[in-house]
Amino acid sequence: MPVEVIMPKVDMDMARGTLAIWHVAEGEAVKKGAALFDIETDKAAMEVEAPASGILRQILAQPGQVIAVGSPVAYLYAEGEAVVGLPSAAPETSEVMAVADPAPAIATAQTPAQVADEAGDLRATPVARRLAREAGLALAEVLGSGPRGRIQRADVETALARRELKATASQALQSPPILSYATQNTPPLEWSPQPGDLHVTTRKGTGTPLAMIHGFAADSTGWLALERALPRDLPLIRIDLPSHGRSPLRRLAGFADLAKAVVQVFDRVAEGPVHLLGHSLGGAVALALSDIRPRQVRTLSLLSPAGLGPEIDGAALNGIARASTADSLAPWLKRLTARPDGISHDFAKAAMLARIDPDLRAAQQELAQVLFPDGVQAFDLTAALERVTAPTLMVWGRDDRILPWKQALAAPGEVALHLLRGVGHVPHMEDPDTVAALIGRHLK
Amino acid sequence: MNAQTQITEVTSPGETREMSYAEAIRDAMTIALDRDPTVILMGEDIGTYGGAFQVTLDLIDKYGPERIMDTPISELGGAGVAVGAALTGLKPIFEFQFSDFAALAMEQIVNQAAKLRYMLGGEAAVPVVFRMPAGSGTGAAAQHSQSFEAWFGHVPGLKVVQPSTPEDAKGLLLAALADPDPVIVFEHKLLYKMKGQVPTGYYTTPIGKAAIRRTGDAVTIVASAIMVHRALEAATKLAAEGIEVEVIDLRSVRPIDRDTIIASVKKTGKLLCVYEGVRTLGVGAEISALIAESEAFDYLDAPIQRLGGAEAPIPYNPDLERAAVPQVADIETVARRLAKGEV
Amino acid sequence: MTVQDNIPFAIRHFSPAALREALRKMHLIRLFEEGAEESYMRGLIHGTMHLSIGQEASAVATCMELTDADKITSTHRGHGHCIAKGADVGRMFAEFFGKETGYCHGRGGSMHIADVKTGNLGANGIVGGGLPIAVGAALTAKRLGRDDVTICFFGDGANNEGAFHEALNMAAIWKLPVIFVCENNKYGMSTPAAYATAVPNIADRAAAYSMPGVTVDGNDFSAVAEALHIAIARARAGDGPSLVENLTYRWRGHSKSDRNRYRTKDEIEDWMTRDPIARFRAELIAHGVLDTAEAEAVEAEAKQAVADGVDFAKASPAPGIGDVTKFVHAEVAA
Ligand SMILES: Cc1ncc(C[n+]2csc(CCOP(=O)(O)OP(=O)(O)O)c2C)c(N)n1
Ligand SMILES: [Mg+2]
Repeated sequence: MPVEVIMPKVDMDMARGTLAIWHVAEGEAVKKGAALFDIETDKAAMEVEAPASGILRQILAQPGQVIAVGSPVAYLYAEGEAVVGLPSAAPETSEVMAVADPAPAIATAQTPAQVADEAGDLRATPVARRLAREAGLALAEVLGSGPRGRIQRADVETALARRELKATASQALQSPPILSYATQNTPPLEWSPQPGDLHVTTRKGTGTPLAMIHGFAADSTGWLALERALPRDLPLIRIDLPSHGRSPLRRLAGFADLAKAVVQVFDRVAEGPVHLLGHSLGGAVALALSDIRPRQVRTLSLLSPAGLGPEIDGAALNGIARASTADSLAPWLKRLTARPDGISHDFAKAAMLARIDPDLRAAQQELAQVLFPDGVQAFDLTAALERVTAPTLMVWGRDDRILPWKQALAAPGEVALHLLRGVGHVPHMEDPDTVAALIGRHLK
Repeated sequence: MNAQTQITEVTSPGETREMSYAEAIRDAMTIALDRDPTVILMGEDIGTYGGAFQVTLDLIDKYGPERIMDTPISELGGAGVAVGAALTGLKPIFEFQFSDFAALAMEQIVNQAAKLRYMLGGEAAVPVVFRMPAGSGTGAAAQHSQSFEAWFGHVPGLKVVQPSTPEDAKGLLLAALADPDPVIVFEHKLLYKMKGQVPTGYYTTPIGKAAIRRTGDAVTIVASAIMVHRALEAATKLAAEGIEVEVIDLRSVRPIDRDTIIASVKKTGKLLCVYEGVRTLGVGAEISALIAESEAFDYLDAPIQRLGGAEAPIPYNPDLERAAVPQVADIETVARRLAKGEV
Repeated sequence: MTVQDNIPFAIRHFSPAALREALRKMHLIRLFEEGAEESYMRGLIHGTMHLSIGQEASAVATCMELTDADKITSTHRGHGHCIAKGADVGRMFAEFFGKETGYCHGRGGSMHIADVKTGNLGANGIVGGGLPIAVGAALTAKRLGRDDVTICFFGDGANNEGAFHEALNMAAIWKLPVIFVCENNKYGMSTPAAYATAVPNIADRAAAYSMPGVTVDGNDFSAVAEALHIAIARARAGDGPSLVENLTYRWRGHSKSDRNRYRTKDEIEDWMTRDPIARFRAELIAHGVLDTAEAEAVEAEAKQAVADGVDFAKASPAPGIGDVTKFVHAEVAA
């Protein structure tokens, strides 16, 4: 008998939840207790663990769907167990009503109990309900800002604007831009999330994996262009720093705290030694990691790493962390690259979308204060760089306006240094092919 | 021909003159007495004394006691005499000294005046006008401060108006008089001294039509009588904060101007009803219900709010008396919270 | 006891102490109302008020024989009735000032002073409002076999309300112990009783309800007391209601906003020469009940009571704003 996976009740007054993302693909094996999918309720997002070990089959709910508590969302089969027909219908008790949902429709027989906006105790004003209905937006996806979480007109409008942003963003991704920015909700299925305190996803492949740590105010979707340029079978590990991407917001006392958080996760995720890649602040973290776990690091690749000198463009970092609209973000983004005209409005919009959560922005502003007080790098890793034993590659743009490439000169002689012309602070985005080629060589 | 078309008679006054609300009412009655010999005024102490609020002052000198009739203190009988006279060819304007005393005359107003036309199959008309000074704020306590518009608004066959300006006080009274059916005019005691420009000559203000006193897109306030002025004061304060409130002066409780209210709520998505009568089962309940039932429902972005009189008789102590009915600060607070999505 | 023709009923009938107390109450009413008027003019009192200055004999003489078990219903012009029935002027002032210590805890004001515990069922803002209520109180006394009576004060204006006629009729058919006391001060607000009432005397109405009706000089303490003595005896004996009409006059306007357009200055001044207090006081002195010095002491006593009352009221706390709905219904014991 397959084990039913249901939408669990995780809150006292929860009647339904939105399935946010599957961490395991259909047909993949999962261990009991491993993260299986994320749900979003009125109050929070949370991870649901697999109720048993088995192979995930018969996924009934797609990301974005609103599911009544207790309704099945998938089944876990034992290895080799024959797949049975689906239980006749979704439970009678839950109101089975179609929701106008932008997600592709699935056959009714296979639809889990979707709760219509009108049903249940979801609080929304009539106009919010109407606007959502007219726009085909599931209200449960909208965060209410009114009293006791009531969804008001403005909330629906924000949600619709966000949806619009997403649409533009994915268009922007399709026409190859100078820089690309993936959105959060489109993780390729080949990626599987790893349990732990930080958001870590892995891609299977052959050989020693490359673990990638992004920079300040970025997230691991920023690696997309580089990933495309790297060998397809290279196993990858993406790590989202605390208070970045999909990792939880965390208050950190200083750089050491940040490094510690990453080391903990690294210990859990890495099954053996890895190649380590870091950009900017992520470069500093990678460097620290190499210093703390020298035997776990096969090679180290640093793109415009932080921690090698006091100078940094604090205004740009703060500006990015603070910006609450694409318009206020764009000017700072332009400072990241050597060719500001490459930052299109759509790119800024897509980048802003990844930073839409005001709490995330606040946390990053706080982090900037801690790491770069008064526009100065408050941590110095030059000594660590001296100690690193793993072969180290350093790539820096000559036109980097955030961290001056001259800081690279702090590196000892064994470090291979590449200074790219016509490149700013984000070489992996500005010139992914060259960077991929350099890394590819370095890994061998 | 229906009532509505009859009352929108001549309306080209052009000229205006500053008058108090009380003077405007007197002006209307003077015009009516001059135009129509069947018009008579009835009420307690309306002759030499000039009425408790001096609204009929000096009219007896011009028209004599035959047309300006002091009645004994006999509200039930007096109102009934007015009904009988209206039924048979006179056009009486009956003044209650305080609207509270209409309670003594409920029988004649509710059982007779309101129903005669219907009960007699349309073969009779009772074109009587009842004038009623209403409202609190004068320290006259529980039996001299009430707001009964919802009571009468509940009776089919009656029309109920509540002018809030001198211009409307005159126009609505003349419209009431031109109306073939009984009309109750609630005059607010605190407004009698309010001054305003009033068209000279004859004109009518249509019964059943609300007036938009201020436009805005953040919140719709539907208010009546003195509450219109309190709402406007609150709106001015809120405008300084960038909150634009639309203030609708209801003017007519029965019939109620659904279209104006619905259109406004569709625009703002937020509704606050402000009225002096007791909150429960009051005029605001009707307005709330009509919005909840209408197409404006789908435009609501917050629960409908009502500010009305306390669930108590009007107390004597001045602070309690103020606390018993909506004040500017109350309106301001609720409208602000509505505008900010905090309700 | 030999009846001497030239000695008024009251002097014969009541003890000197009772008569002295009656004089004190009359002074108290006058001084209380003058004090209220002054406080009103100083802005200490909200709303309006109806003063009974000039009508004190009617109030006090009517209540001479009443005990706390007997009831009265009063009118908008009721301060005199309250004091005559024994009310404390401090609590009356407190009510005027809207204070929590007032008879109605500041909720009622001048027009609603009552003290149900001592049989004062209250002033009334509605003309004629007290008439059927008085009949109800009399019904209670009769049904419960008590011998208390109810005095129903009302004005000449009230006799044209339907409630008056309905009340008198029911009191008569059920033979209830109620005495209808009309204080005919010639006007209902501005409307002369002679214009508004179809009969010359309000007492003439009694005939329609087959009860005794008498008209007396309401400024003659003794005449009023005597008429009431007879009516009360009849009521207590179970013989039913009576109507007593006290002819009197209010010196002040109907309320604070009266401009006296309906009566002449001469008429007012003429009535002021018939001051019921001066008259009663002279009578008491003439018949040796008290001397001038004692009379002055009585007046001084009343003056002090008024001064103390105002002080008490001023110092009293106001009701809490949050208590607007307190007293709307019985407070349910927790
Ligand atoms: C039912 C009712 N009608 C009218 C009034 C207004 N009003 C108050 S006192 C008064 C005159 C009453 O005259 P009367 O009964 O003679 O008493 P007086 O004032 O002379 O003592 C009037 C018309 C009222 N309070 N109640
Ligand atoms: Mg009178």
